[in-house]
Amino acid sequence: MKISRKIAGALALSAAAAVVLAGCTSRNDPGQTAEPGATDGASTEDLTIAFVPKLQGIPYFEAMNTGGQQAAEELGFEWLYQGPTTADAAAQADIVRSFIQQGVDVLFVAPNDPNSMAPLLEEAQAAGIHVATTDTDAPDSVREVFVNQASVDGIGEALTDTLLEAMGGSGQYAIVSCGETAANLNAWIEVQEAYTASEYPDAEIVDIVYAGEDQAAATQMATDLMNSHPDLTGLVGECTSSAPGVAQAVEDAGRTGEVFTVGLGTPQSMLPYLESGSSSGSILWDVEALGYLTGWAGVQLATDGDLGDLSGVDNEALAEAEYDESTGVLLLGPPTVFTAENAGDYDY
Amino acid sequence: MTTDTAAPVRSAQLSLRRILPPIVTGQEIVLLAVLVVLWVVLGIFTPAFLTPGSIGPLLVQVAPIALIGVGMTFVIITAGIDVSVAAMIMVSAVTTARMLVAFDIPAILAVLVAVVIGSALGALNGLLIAYGRVHPIIITFGTANLFQWLGLRVFDSSTVNGIPSTLEFFGRGGAGSTFGVPHSFAIAVLAVAAAWWFLRYAKAGRNLYAIGGNQNAARLAGIKVQPRLVWVYVITGALAGLAACMVIATGTATLDQSVGSGKELQVIAAVVIGGTSILGGRGSVVGTLLGAILVQTVVSGVTQLGWPTQLGFLFVGIFILIAVGTDLIRERTRRRA
Repeated sequence: MKISRKIAGALALSAAAAVVLAGCTSRNDPGQTAEPGATDGASTEDLTIAFVPKLQGIPYFEAMNTGGQQAAEELGFEWLYQGPTTADAAAQADIVRSFIQQGVDVLFVAPNDPNSMAPLLEEAQAAGIHVATTDTDAPDSVREVFVNQASVDGIGEALTDTLLEAMGGSGQYAIVSCGETAANLNAWIEVQEAYTASEYPDAEIVDIVYAGEDQAAATQMATDLMNSHPDLTGLVGECTSSAPGVAQAVEDAGRTGEVFTVGLGTPQSMLPYLESGSSSGSILWDVEALGYLTGWAGVQLATDGDLGDLSGVDNEALAEAEYDESTGVLLLGPPTVFTAENAGDYDY
Repeated sequence: MTTDTAAPVRSAQLSLRRILPPIVTGQEIVLLAVLVVLWVVLGIFTPAFLTPGSIGPLLVQVAPIALIGVGMTFVIITAGIDVSVAAMIMVSAVTTARMLVAFDIPAILAVLVAVVIGSALGALNGLLIAYGRVHPIIITFGTANLFQWLGLRVFDSSTVNGIPSTLEFFGRGGAGSTFGVPHSFAIAVLAVAAAWWFLRYAKAGRNLYAIGGNQNAARLAGIKVQPRLVWVYVITGALAGLAACMVIATGTATLDQSVGSGKELQVIAAVVIGGTSILGGRGSVVGTLLGAILVQTVVSGVTQLGWPTQLGFLFVGIFILIAVGTDLIRERTRRRA
């Protein structure tokens, strides 16, 4: 008994240590230098630009990170990248606070919850940090610029056009969305509804369901939708987890060619479905270019540069980027439609 | 000292007799009735709920929950809980998926890998719980984080893309069923049947009820509590590993880090709705299977009726509260008696 207690103690201790260590590796990125007191208008040499994604470790934000690192190398600044391991507003807030304490020069956030992020951004600004949003906006905040991947209209219309082209311009379709309160997804859906009603009078959105970020749930819901609407000929997967999910449901039901799908999926995850025909197209944007544009915008903010002047940018993926000064939105350009032909060219 | 030990022994014998499960419990009959009513109502009000194309995928979706539910029922009967099953699914699934992509391993080997990983993780849980004497929710909460870290390391900041259809035997598609019966669901039913027999007729199985009823009494009655507990968590881990294969098969060609997330709560919901007492000492695997089917019926039913998705949470929440409420009332009346 005594021995087993000792073993138990040792095991519990090592488990506790491991958990603590796990916490450390995800929280503290070695190599980050804390420089208290942000400095404005310095040369880009000692400029630190931090980006807090919604979620670390998913290919989407890793691709943005790649783009940001590329910008850091070419433009010469330090790029810091750290996000929560679950799309959790509180965990994200902790990371934002740690960047405020480190006194970075520019702080980019893709907020999980724009409302709760707003006061934190104010705090950062009060500490002398340039604050901005990228990928997802916090509209009622002090952010100086929002780097937008694609306009809401652009995404909504591209999704609708691609799907309706496959459906022959008419018929019933349904949307499998993800987070029920996700502002960007809901904005796209609104455009899809209005655009479908005005441009495709013979088409109808019969249902909108929410699967969370769960691929299997999205697939099951798509299956349920096909069953409850026998005349359904189209499905939209509104986020990167439901886009392959709805295509998989069509394949599993053996209805490829009868029910068409489109979605916002990363090229690599959609490739098998684009090739088999269960997905008619994936609408997204060049995520690496978005990361690059974010890094570039950070430099402009810190050096009081002109966000509207992209002439000095040597990156053809940013050729169509434009800045709207009245709204403070820096737009990457129109969305990209990935098909079986070009999806293989991207490694995310 | 003698009087101290004599009382628990007596109570252990008493509780052994009292808690032996009847062949069918009242809760199972109620659940079955609710299910039948729901299926009939959904059959009437939706165009295709009661068709093979709808029921088949539903049962495939239920299978991993019911399968892990068997292990979780054992765990909860011993008055424990395992909140690390989602993370165990994640570790097993990502490792297996990576091996499928990198080495194109055959299905048998993939299942073996997943089950071995699940068992190993379960063994860690079991050893810490049996010999650490800390409440299982604390231990498994700790290991859940540990496993999550491990899984994320294996993911290595990217998704697993282009997973081959090696495991389609467990899937939703045509290769996943024989004569309309989904293989994964059949496996879950077999596991439930074996567990039902084990809990009812095997000495080791009946010991689990005694452990959950009163662990000290069980120990004094000569039951090897600690080895039993270790095995319960190993079995749960092994089943989570097998379930991970089903998750890969029913997922898309891409696996991302959200795999498994939330499954621990779905499994616990199925077990609790199935009538297993969260206080330990009482429970049934048949109830768990019915509970798992009920939860998915509600979620699918809401979608097929065209109702707002959020209503699914409301209904499942109500079912859990009713089930737990019934259990607590039963427990209180028994204590008073």
